[in-house]
Amino acid sequence: MAHIKVVRRSMRPEEWTDLRFGWLKRYIYSSKWEIENLMIRDARQVSEMEFEYYSEDYRPLKKGDMYFTPDGTAFIKADVDIPKELQGKELWFSLKTAAEICVKVNGKYIGGVDPNRERMLLSPYINDKETLHFDMMGYNRSKPDDERNPESLSVRGCRQIFEGAYICTVNHQVQDLVWDFELLLDIAKSDLFSEDYRAFLNKELSNAMDFIDFEDESGLTGVENAQKYLNEIVFANDNYKGNGDVALIAHSHLDIAYYWRRIHAVQKNLRTVLIQLRLMDRYPDFKYTHTQPYVYETLEKYYPEVFEELKEKVANGQFEPVGAMYVEPDCNIPCAESLIRQCLYGQNTYQRMFGKRVNNAWLPDVFGNSWILPQILKKSGVDYFVSNKMSTWNDTNRFPHNNFIWRGIDGSEVYACVPPTHFITWNMPSQIQENWDAYIDKDSGGQTMNMFGYGDGGSGCTEEMIELMHRFDKLSVMPKCTHTGGAEFLEKNLKYNENLEVWDGELYLEMHRGTFTTKSNLKAANRALEFKLRNAEIISVLKGEDNTERITRLYKKLLINQFHDILPGSHIHPVYEDAMADYAEIDKELDEIIGTGSKYFNTLNFERNALTFVKSENGTSTRHFEKGNWIIPSIPALSCANLRKSAFNAEWIEIGEKIETPFYSVQLNPDGSFASLYDKELSREWVSGDFNKLKIYTDCPGNYDAWDILPNYKDKEIELTVSSELSLLELDGECASFVSTLKTEKSTWTRIIRLFRRSRGIEVENIVDWNEKHRLAKAEFACNVLSRKALCDTSAGFIERDTHKNTSWQQARFEVCHHKWCDMSETDGGVAIINEGKYGVGFDKNVISLSLLRATIRPDVTSDMGNHDFCYMIMPHSKGAVEAYINRLALQYNNELIKADVECPLPDFSPLYLQALKFSENGKMIVVRLSEQNGTRGQIKLDKPVKLLNMLEDEEGEASVIEYKPFEIITIGIDKNGAV
Amino acid sequence: MNTVQGYVENVLQPKLQGDGGWIEFVSLDNGILTVIFRGECSKCLILNRCTEWIESEIKKDLGKTVKVNAIRKKPYFQDV
Repeated sequence: MAHIKVVRRSMRPEEWTDLRFGWLKRYIYSSKWEIENLMIRDARQVSEMEFEYYSEDYRPLKKGDMYFTPDGTAFIKADVDIPKELQGKELWFSLKTAAEICVKVNGKYIGGVDPNRERMLLSPYINDKETLHFDMMGYNRSKPDDERNPESLSVRGCRQIFEGAYICTVNHQVQDLVWDFELLLDIAKSDLFSEDYRAFLNKELSNAMDFIDFEDESGLTGVENAQKYLNEIVFANDNYKGNGDVALIAHSHLDIAYYWRRIHAVQKNLRTVLIQLRLMDRYPDFKYTHTQPYVYETLEKYYPEVFEELKEKVANGQFEPVGAMYVEPDCNIPCAESLIRQCLYGQNTYQRMFGKRVNNAWLPDVFGNSWILPQILKKSGVDYFVSNKMSTWNDTNRFPHNNFIWRGIDGSEVYACVPPTHFITWNMPSQIQENWDAYIDKDSGGQTMNMFGYGDGGSGCTEEMIELMHRFDKLSVMPKCTHTGGAEFLEKNLKYNENLEVWDGELYLEMHRGTFTTKSNLKAANRALEFKLRNAEIISVLKGEDNTERITRLYKKLLINQFHDILPGSHIHPVYEDAMADYAEIDKELDEIIGTGSKYFNTLNFERNALTFVKSENGTSTRHFEKGNWIIPSIPALSCANLRKSAFNAEWIEIGEKIETPFYSVQLNPDGSFASLYDKELSREWVSGDFNKLKIYTDCPGNYDAWDILPNYKDKEIELTVSSELSLLELDGECASFVSTLKTEKSTWTRIIRLFRRSRGIEVENIVDWNEKHRLAKAEFACNVLSRKALCDTSAGFIERDTHKNTSWQQARFEVCHHKWCDMSETDGGVAIINEGKYGVGFDKNVISLSLLRATIRPDVTSDMGNHDFCYMIMPHSKGAVEAYINRLALQYNNELIKADVECPLPDFSPLYLQALKFSENGKMIVVRLSEQNGTRGQIKLDKPVKLLNMLEDEEGEASVIEYKPFEIITIGIDKNGAV
Repeated sequence: MNTVQGYVENVLQPKLQGDGGWIEFVSLDNGILTVIFRGECSKCLILNRCTEWIESEIKKDLGKTVKVNAIRKKPYFQDV
């Protein structure tokens, strides 16, 4: 018998309740008086506080008019005399809008309206008997604060229809009932709550609605009775018991740049702060957490009067600065010193502004966290770490903890909280219940953390969220909810909690693996500038020039661009242009600081003995389109020397069917890959399959295009044709360069393979005209190596990663982050790949696959398009990576030789790596930062005692022997005038 | 810059890019300005408001009357 699906054509009782709920909301305002004399002036923001105006003057703005333009800011004003009948009443300003609008009345910032809230309270801040000068500044953009808010999503678009602005009074009886229904309907619709309770609610909510007469022409009646019924029948019912213990933490996530430029974050932050301050005025129990000292700086600089209010709320405990880092940076790609500076400058800013530091790192949205972080945090006064994404975004494995201890690469431990649910919620009972249900550490972790507040573009909490929160304890079915501060939660639940489990390893996010590679130019520039900043500080100290203020400014600019939607590449095109302009400016100023000299200076604290390309107009080699010579500098640690090109002739190499060098017998394929790489010194073959093979794969991860790479990306490979077969390009006494050119339908990829007389390294330069869409380019190296582990540089030590896929944990790590090098070795030899700005890499059995370029279209249609020129070095070696000094080679490869006539009175601190040499922030000391990068333990004896410092440069002791352990970062202070 | 193409590429494009959008000049024939919209523009529910604004901006700044013919190039993952 055929089955006919019955489609219900009449309303269900629940839908009848919903319909009447919609009607009820129409009565929230008891009166609305339209402001009819509004004037508007369109503009576009061109810097943090500058606007390009589209007209000389304002024009009238009437209901139904179109307003806002693409990337537009609008200034709206009106002089308003409050009608007599409204004077003395509690007055609100109402404007339903898709834009983000800050409102000033008579010169004072009163509040804001945006897609998440359409009204703001006026009364406490105005004299309703005098003329009110409204000045509004609105920024409209196609992407709302939060794509998860459907109401906000429905109004997106550059051109908006003005729906009118009003002075209103609110019917609080209706409003209260609306909030009650909001709360109870959410429970009634959520299958996270008991079926019986939801049935009870559906019945009683309809019963309560029955008291209201929507057809009475004299006005709404029965609201009071409906409220009384809810109180007596629903809220008084405690037969249905919920369980759980949830801490509700108000927060607004603010992306400094994303679908907007950094300049727009200044006003986004103003609006967010302003709205939260006004909520604090209205609700004295309301507490709110706000991150990123950088945005506090912009508020202080441009809106000092609002900043003063903020300081008052910090002092009374309602406004809580959280997050020690200067911005919320990506925590994969920045090097250790950058992450330290994030903490140093962040903590210093909070200290200056509020007289205190914070003890937490607050990074809800970052895309995974490097294993080097716990040590950096701990030594920067940070005991607690908060980051959400591993619990909510992992695509393969459920991260096994929410409240736990995170042990770092060196053994340092911090308390960690990975809240079970998203950092953007709107405090609905179903979201809170979802958090409790997902909370893994119910038996050991104490409360679970639940953040609430709109975010991404700021905005934060709403009146409704707080009103709902005030009702939670009336509902027996809800978990116990406590509104608390960030630090308060962490200290209460994690501190001294002996039941917490330990996670020892990186906090790898099983998602967003493409961000190690997307927008490769940003990554390369960031790497180069990290090294150049190091050099600039070292040279400043050695020259005795205190450039601290200037270098701090440049450092901060770099740190801002390490924000987790800038450096990872997940942003619109203008953000990329801003970042590249910043990088050019930093680079230029650092060159000025470093200056020049007659000799080359080795800023590394070990002998510079690797073959290095030294630029010279008369050079006989070419690299990155510049002439130069390959030279072994042989400059001792922290010393100067002249360099001389070797006078060797070109007979060191035999080029035939095989290429014979002092190190290798090489067979190259026409596309620049290796058919054979036989090591004469070690008597072994390094190639076992495609080696140095360029492969381009279809890369279609979907909506999160810039962020993600799918695990099956290798399923479809794009055909590459050899348009110009491998041939000799250049030959001198040190280097032989071979070139081949490959093509796809749209792109050209030239590969220059460099073999050397005096180096085991084989360099590959890639000159690419890249015009693809949805592609991932990789260089793959099938090594004749049997190993289940690969080593990856973290910038402060190395991490071992499995090369097998035994369990879902290894399978999920098909693409991981590394820094300057990775290595796959047997005990007596292996292959390292050293790069100059690539971060994504995969390991599968004996294959290393280095990610080179992507071609994503969202958020930036042109991401990575155009010309690229980058190198990597293949470094076969004897023994393991540590014994082969791969890290030192990688440091030399990434650190350009500079010219400076300086002397260094300091010891070389060998075998530790001199990570930084700078003047202390207080100007009284020279700060030396040393990093153990080989996994060894030992001591360094000094001639004089030095101060032992933390990373915030606080003195913690004195020693003349520095004891170090594996992967430890040590900071010491030396008297400005005294050598050690 | 004085041409419609130059205006689209140099004046309008940066503004649309600021909203995550993208516009490309294709042709101008008999007053019909054909442009390709990508990015956020390609899926905008109220793109017609923007094309009307483009027409008025070209009229205001270049003194030319055009009618925009909008071609949407949605990304594959939104083309459902």
